[in-house]
Amino acid sequence: VVLGFQDSEDLIAPDLPTEPIPLNMGPSHPAMHGTVRMVLEVEGERISSADIQIGYLHRCFEKESENATWTQVFPYTDRLNYISPMLNNVGYAMAVEKLLGVTEQIPERAQFIRVIVGEVSRITDHLTCLGASAMELGAFTVFLYALKAREWLFELLEETCGARLTSTYLRIGGVSYDLPDGFDGKLRSIMDRTRVVMEDIGKLLERNRIFRDRMDGIGIITQADALAYGITGPVGRSTGLAYDVRKDHPYLVYDRFDFDVPVGSVGDNFDRYAVRVEEINQSMRILDQALRQIPAGPVMINDPRISLPAKSETYNSIEAMIAHFKIIMDGIRVPPGETYSYTEAGNGELGFFIVSDGTGRPWKCRVRPPCFPATAVLGKVLPGLFIADVVPTFGMINMIGGECDR
Amino acid sequence: MADPTTTPTSPAAPVSTPVAADTVTVTIDGKAHQFPKGTVLLEACNAVGANVPFFCYHPGLSSPAVCRQCLVDVKGQPKPVPSCYTPVADKMEVQTQSPRALDVRRQMLEFTLVNHPIDCPICDKAGECMLQKHYFDWDAKYARNDGIKVKKDKVVDVGPHIVLDQERCILCTRCIRVCDEVAKKHQLEMADRGDHEVLTTAPGHRLDNPYSLNTVDVCPVGALTSKDFRFSMRAWELTATQSVCPGCATGCNIEIHHSRGKIHRLVPRLNAAVNKHWMCDEGRFTYKPVQAGRLAAPFVAGAPVEWDRALDEAGRLLRAALDAGPAKVGVLFNAQSTNEDLHALARLAFEHLGLAKAYLAGVDEGWSDEILVSADKNPNRAGATAIGAGRLRTLLDLANDLKAGAVTALLVVGSDGVLGKDGAPGALPLDRLETLVVIGTHRDAVAAAAKVALPLAAWAEADGTFTNKLGMVQRIRAAVPPAGDSLPGWEILSHLARKLGATMDFTEARAVFNEAKQKHGFMKAADWGRLMLPVQLRFASTRG
Repeated sequence: VVLGFQDSEDLIAPDLPTEPIPLNMGPSHPAMHGTVRMVLEVEGERISSADIQIGYLHRCFEKESENATWTQVFPYTDRLNYISPMLNNVGYAMAVEKLLGVTEQIPERAQFIRVIVGEVSRITDHLTCLGASAMELGAFTVFLYALKAREWLFELLEETCGARLTSTYLRIGGVSYDLPDGFDGKLRSIMDRTRVVMEDIGKLLERNRIFRDRMDGIGIITQADALAYGITGPVGRSTGLAYDVRKDHPYLVYDRFDFDVPVGSVGDNFDRYAVRVEEINQSMRILDQALRQIPAGPVMINDPRISLPAKSETYNSIEAMIAHFKIIMDGIRVPPGETYSYTEAGNGELGFFIVSDGTGRPWKCRVRPPCFPATAVLGKVLPGLFIADVVPTFGMINMIGGECDR
Repeated sequence: MADPTTTPTSPAAPVSTPVAADTVTVTIDGKAHQFPKGTVLLEACNAVGANVPFFCYHPGLSSPAVCRQCLVDVKGQPKPVPSCYTPVADKMEVQTQSPRALDVRRQMLEFTLVNHPIDCPICDKAGECMLQKHYFDWDAKYARNDGIKVKKDKVVDVGPHIVLDQERCILCTRCIRVCDEVAKKHQLEMADRGDHEVLTTAPGHRLDNPYSLNTVDVCPVGALTSKDFRFSMRAWELTATQSVCPGCATGCNIEIHHSRGKIHRLVPRLNAAVNKHWMCDEGRFTYKPVQAGRLAAPFVAGAPVEWDRALDEAGRLLRAALDAGPAKVGVLFNAQSTNEDLHALARLAFEHLGLAKAYLAGVDEGWSDEILVSADKNPNRAGATAIGAGRLRTLLDLANDLKAGAVTALLVVGSDGVLGKDGAPGALPLDRLETLVVIGTHRDAVAAAAKVALPLAAWAEADGTFTNKLGMVQRIRAAVPPAGDSLPGWEILSHLARKLGATMDFTEARAVFNEAKQKHGFMKAADWGRLMLPVQLRFASTRG
């Protein structure tokens, strides 16, 4: 027994005492998604301490927002969690609408569209996380399968809003335009094909020794830690915390859908994998219901102080011209006050704390990034693991630099 | 927390303010307020934050109550009253936001917009337009009327500085009142009636009074636009910095409107003691020289060099002249300089170098009137005279001394007006000098004649103070970065002092100001003012 370790490799050369060696992972490391730096101290293959250093993707989101009109912040939110930008759009739009006091007046169709594009984004988010993590364990096929399905969804979103990632699809008061023709059929077909992909991925991974060895019982986050750190989303649910904003504080039209909130029991990497796989299924369940229930109607609030007038009106009446001008140049006037609004994004509770001084731009636009606490807990989880466990554990946390560093 | 009953200053304790005989009590939106007798109701309402909109009312002009945008409900009155025309009365009960008041104001806006052209994208006023603001704040309903708008004249050349667009005019008559009441010239009038009513020049007149550009400022819409500013920059892209006009000794308070290091216009800023809401047309163009013909780099013998070399050379030349005989070294002050530059120069010349020959230059006198324009075209002659404390002689004395050979070396700080109005060399025989060091803003004949010319930051590029003819020390603020390599005068003089072996270590204008304030009696009451970040007009809501 050397240094208290019982594993075989530690016993091979019992007379060679190990020395702590600092090991730098990242910020430029293929597996350090979105540039994060981990300063590990290793003794042999074991990690004795881990210092997680974030901030390499800091883009001054919050400060930039203070110099943009409320509407101009949308493109910045795209770049928070950039593999599910629609969900960031939803979170931000709902925060501003809450401060404006118009949450109840958002047309029903717009709310359904927000749910639909949001759930599609949740699937792309989880697919990316699963595919990338599998690839980092050598399962390149899984990566290609997952990204293939993601691409179908991205193409659908591109058809909807013109961009795969930088969607800027939502507006304060609704969405910028209606879903394209044939969206319904395409999404159903994509979901059918995605179910097959998910089956294939399951078959490739779940009985795979390499995969399971790095998943089962590795990177355990206790429920107490999850609560203490404020971890939500799939990582929080993997520890058995059944907290999902969509269920616990329903927003938009989530209270009209049947769906389950999957939870884990151990809080290890496999639980996080399994929760994400199940959430993809649940998202498709929501999408099925949403596509059936979505009503016809406008997709933008009818308020000249918030929504842009129709182009024909803008060019042909002075009233609409002024309204257009004021909204574009000065920004939507949000009454003075502050609010915190939160939605379930790909990684958990995405919160926006916004303060308005009554002008057309945020006085403060603070983001609560859901992967921030999940990344913070790594410093506690990694010690005791092998170096080879770092990448899958980090991958299953799904830290997204754009969101974590803002 | 202290018990309110034992705290005499607690707001909960009954307040018994004695009501003076000349105040009246008015209830505005359910809250009682006291105002001096004779206060206009609109001012009273807005003073307590009731937010009553208006077009034709202007705090600096009379009120004709033509726009009907400030209608409020007064208890006992059968219909809403124009608050800009109504003096407060005792026990008046006013509702500024009653449904009826809101509705009539909205209807007036709708009425105003019926014939308003769809010009915002090409209108200079867009972004600081009161019609846009009021529509968005008080109406915000789409058009109910799609009739054909009345056609009027679009580009009417009404004066040397101003273009009129009759379609955009909302007939508030503010511009007419500016001409009548400020410039005391009746040059604008209303013609025709109803929806054919137009603003036009008075028969036989043009809008050419010296205060004509104030009509552009007061115009709530884009009917009157400045030829100079027209199409040069969108209003919301501008940033405003508070300053003082350098055009004459009046010292009108202004805002410099600039964008990306370029000044686009000067507009007056309210100062009841100096210029009220106004400034003259001439003053508005004082920004032009800041951006033309500037000395952008230090020059030695006609060739641009680095600062270090130029300062070395200037120091060497002046040192040599001082060693040869300090009695023949002169200093030329300028009434265009800030108090700070003048103080730094006075300290260097009199305290450190002990020079005896000092002169004061300045721009020649010009026309004046009883309104704002002073004959003295220098913003700081009062400051220069006071700081010179009787030691400064005239340009004529300098010319005589030059001719007599009594001055062979000269340090010039500020070359404005040194060579007279036409800038022709000859009046001042600078060629008699053996050494001429010039710290100046422009590439003029003085700089050309200099052995060493050092670039000086212009008034809009430096922090400092001017003393106007009333003796008021007023703050100017740097709006744009100094042209090229130029530096503020006090900084150049600090560098130069070091080269001459004197210790003058100013690192910021404020330090010079504080020292000058200690030293000079006229600056005793002066205040540097607080740090003021430039205001982005887009989000300021100050204009329109």
